[in-house]
Amino acid sequence: MRRSFTRYLAPLAAAALIGAGCSDDDDDGAAGVATTAAGTSAGSLATATTTAATGAGTTTPGAPAGESTLDTVIANDVVRCGVRDDLPGFNFVDQSGEQVGFDADFCRVIAAAVLGDATKVEFVPVETDARFTALQSGEFDVLVRNTTWTASRDGAEGVTFLHPTYYDGQSMMVAADSGFSSIDDMDGTVICVAGGTTSEGNVAAEFARRGLTIEVQSFETVDLLQEAFTAGRCDGWSSDLSQLKGLRSNYPDAQGGPESLVIFEDEVFSKEPLAPAVVDGDSRWAQAVDWAIYATIQAEEFGLTSENIEGFDAGDDVNLQRFLGAEVEGEDVAAPLDPGLGLAPDYAVQVVSQVGNYGEIFENNLAALELERGLNALWTDGGLQYAPPYR
Amino acid sequence: MATTTGRPPLWRDVRVLAWAFQLTVVGLVVAIVLWLLDNFRANSERLNIPTGYDYLDQPANFPIPGSDFNQRQPVSDALVEGLQNTLRLAVTGIVLATVLGVLIGIARLSQNFLLRSAARVYVEFVRNVPLLGILVLFYIALVLGVFPRPDESWKLGPLAVLNVRGASVFWFEGGNWKFVLVVALTLLAGWLLARWRRRIADRTGRPARTGLWALTGGAVVLVVAWLVLGLGATAPELDGRLVTGGITMTPEYFAALAALVVYTASHIAEIVRGSIQAVPRGQGEAADALALSGFQRTWFVVLPQAMRIAVPPIGNQYLNLAKNSSLAAVISFPELTQITQLSVANRSPAVPSYALLLAIYLVISLVISFVVNIVNRRLAIVER
Repeated sequence: MRRSFTRYLAPLAAAALIGAGCSDDDDDGAAGVATTAAGTSAGSLATATTTAATGAGTTTPGAPAGESTLDTVIANDVVRCGVRDDLPGFNFVDQSGEQVGFDADFCRVIAAAVLGDATKVEFVPVETDARFTALQSGEFDVLVRNTTWTASRDGAEGVTFLHPTYYDGQSMMVAADSGFSSIDDMDGTVICVAGGTTSEGNVAAEFARRGLTIEVQSFETVDLLQEAFTAGRCDGWSSDLSQLKGLRSNYPDAQGGPESLVIFEDEVFSKEPLAPAVVDGDSRWAQAVDWAIYATIQAEEFGLTSENIEGFDAGDDVNLQRFLGAEVEGEDVAAPLDPGLGLAPDYAVQVVSQVGNYGEIFENNLAALELERGLNALWTDGGLQYAPPYR
Repeated sequence: MATTTGRPPLWRDVRVLAWAFQLTVVGLVVAIVLWLLDNFRANSERLNIPTGYDYLDQPANFPIPGSDFNQRQPVSDALVEGLQNTLRLAVTGIVLATVLGVLIGIARLSQNFLLRSAARVYVEFVRNVPLLGILVLFYIALVLGVFPRPDESWKLGPLAVLNVRGASVFWFEGGNWKFVLVVALTLLAGWLLARWRRRIADRTGRPARTGLWALTGGAVVLVVAWLVLGLGATAPELDGRLVTGGITMTPEYFAALAALVVYTASHIAEIVRGSIQAVPRGQGEAADALALSGFQRTWFVVLPQAMRIAVPPIGNQYLNLAKNSSLAAVISFPELTQITQLSVANRSPAVPSYALLLAIYLVISLVISFVVNIVNRRLAIVER
């Protein structure tokens, strides 16, 4: 009896130890665990394990200090980009196996800026609930995956969000024959959302705020969600407006096609700035990615497109000269501006000529979804897209 | 030859060498584990990721379907909800899989060709396909494909309403503890009556008829306790799109339960068949010689001996079922694994979350094997 009891106890003790090891914050934690482990298994093991612990303690893991992802990206000559591959408009795989979409193009923008070649991108598809862990552990260099920038993600996920490529907001989609014309009609319904996103919490909070009772059913994959929605498992499908537009425009004709769905476009009830993210504590890489994105916005402001940027005559405009990487007259010598970002002087030309300016990227990918610029217009047109001056 | 002068030197002493070897291996394993843990902690610190369990007190920020859970409640509450759903799935699944598995196992050895072949086709098909496939197929094809939309719900009088949102049936009203008390009293009455009848039968030699007595007595106690406690009942009613009243089983739960039962039963059936065949033929023949009926022969002579062989491997299947219940996360049934995934996606740190998840499954498995071992000890032949 005693014997069989200890058999159950041992794995439990082991599990408890792992827990203790994880929660311990000070450096003596490891040695403490070692002695406890030795104590529970057999007293005579103490010497062996303590030596082992000291040995492990002196090993310093992780990358050497000062090494930036920017250096490894240049050394590997490829940008590894964490993406989603099932979202029409933002990122999906087309018939020829090519990654296409708004997010995919921003991966190319980063590659063009850092490496001078927009094709040097390795797309790494990643699931929603694994995206931050994968970024933290270095599965890819930058996450461009339709990800909302929130305070707690910024703070607790070990990632840094950069300039939002798309300002989005959450809305609701219902079947056209459902009889609903507003969110206020939807008391006592079931709402389907994609699991592990901000959508779940938003939709529950919004209905609670309006004093409506609903049930939120979350699905891991969009495919399953669509099956469930089609079968009538839920009355509404809530997600970011841009996603709903993309899903609606690709809704299979067998189920009624886009005409069978209605989106409440006037009822956007959350702020969803979709931003690329990199690992915390690597400001050189973060700045490089940020300025790659700014280049597309600045180019649109200057009226530079993929058609006209090469050989564009900057004239006497110093700002334009700097942006194009042309030689700017200095005190003694003429040299192109090097702001010290680790990017080539003509990186903006590479970005815009190989991929396009912000407006072109938007048109190429999102116009088909009938998405309007809205918040994503340039600041000069009343939108939010604004790049700091390049000087 | 007779040079046994004391002990051999240390480096040639077999006992010392054996101990030294074992100590080295243990030391190496501990060192590797510590190195990994240390790496993990160093990397987490470098990336500013919390490694402790403080997140359990943070608000969860996600709703859970089919419960009153509020997203402002802490993560630990969400995990408790998930654990309840896992246990509900595992316990119901184990009971149903055992019943179905034993029936099919017996059917595999039936004299009836049709029954025997059907059981065989079932076992051979289900046992050889992956559970995940069955699960998704059940959910998409059976639940989403066959069950009607809410406005076309199937109704069975006031007793049941079935649609793609769930199956609701007539159920008891009011406090849960009352219901548990009624069930406990019923079972206790049945058990006491059966024991009493057995005693009388042992003393007088008259037929015990324990089943008959236990069922009747249990039913009487059930009705009396129900009336005494004033336990009401509610019938499901379709109110627009929602079903109110009764007790509702979500379609995700239904699909997960059906898949787990169907899959595990095929394995249990094979174990039962093998165990029955392992009972010496003479036992069955002796039962025939005593002119026992077919049912008596199976129920009182063959099955008890077969079960003695079958319990340990069936216990394994119970463990599998409990662990396989985590697959229900795929069809978004909010059991423990899905809740963990959701909480990790809502900024709970991944490594502590999954470590906790594994620890909980470990405890569930240890409890199951503890119970199975007790049953096994009670069934084992008492050697005198």
